[in-house]
Amino acid sequence: MPGLTIDLTIYDDEEALLAGLRRREPDACACLIKRFAPLVYAQAIRLLGDVDEAEGALQQTFIKACDKLDTYEGRSGLGSWLYRIATNEALMLLRQRSPRIAIDNVADTIQADEMPQHLTPWTLDPATAALNSELRATLEQALMALPETLRVVFVLRDIQGLSTEETAAMLGLGESAVKVRLHRARLRLRELLSAYMQEH
Amino acid sequence: MTCEELIAHLSSYLDHEMDAALVAEVQEHIAHCRNCRVVLDTSQRLMVLLHDEGRRIIPMRERSALFDRLQQAFLNRSPASDSNTTV
Repeated sequence: MPGLTIDLTIYDDEEALLAGLRRREPDACACLIKRFAPLVYAQAIRLLGDVDEAEGALQQTFIKACDKLDTYEGRSGLGSWLYRIATNEALMLLRQRSPRIAIDNVADTIQADEMPQHLTPWTLDPATAALNSELRATLEQALMALPETLRVVFVLRDIQGLSTEETAAMLGLGESAVKVRLHRARLRLRELLSAYMQEH
Repeated sequence: MTCEELIAHLSSYLDHEMDAALVAEVQEHIAHCRNCRVVLDTSQRLMVLLHDEGRRIIPMRERSALFDRLQQAFLNRSPASDSNTTV
């Protein structure tokens, strides 16, 4: 399996890697996959919440990326470009799973049960806590516990770092709907993590 | 500003999208409302926790098999895309 033993330093920078990819060098492909597949997969699984679907999205992402290499202009960096393709793939799978309903139909107001209930301060320093693997696992679980309608917006805005405008365009939503869903997702996540934070 | 209004505007405050007059109202409110001060502080801590989440990697099962499938997909991609190759 030649790709698995490749030295990642063969391609010093993205330009060299891109040139290798355009020449269809197997090592360039292996290098691209090794560098970016884990990040792309993480994005897919956060959006889809399903290992098999995430692997499918990952595979489709790299196939589409390879097909589009010649039109890639290099403005955003390979990582951002792949992230965007992966996001579109995952959103397409979400829509196939529950056509139009899951992503588009949701109450765009804060619900009464979303008002803060946990009112105890967190004692953990977040910068230190970020390294705590148990907390990271709890965070991932909390993310998966969010309704799909809120999780998708949250992942694009607060994890992927897209703007409100970009998120709205990608999901076909209005900007105000994106803002309300992000707000509701943050409130729910704070509640879910507060329970953990108060026990540790 | 009431507690309900502060909660409704919390994300605008966290994203620095709130105008100065409302920011002043939030600060005045949390100066005397312990509960809203906790909600605001814990929400800010949540944002810090999430800061690096996008760069975090989730372990892939059967990683080598997946890499191999991806590589094969790349190598087998349509020859049509080769005709426009620029090096």
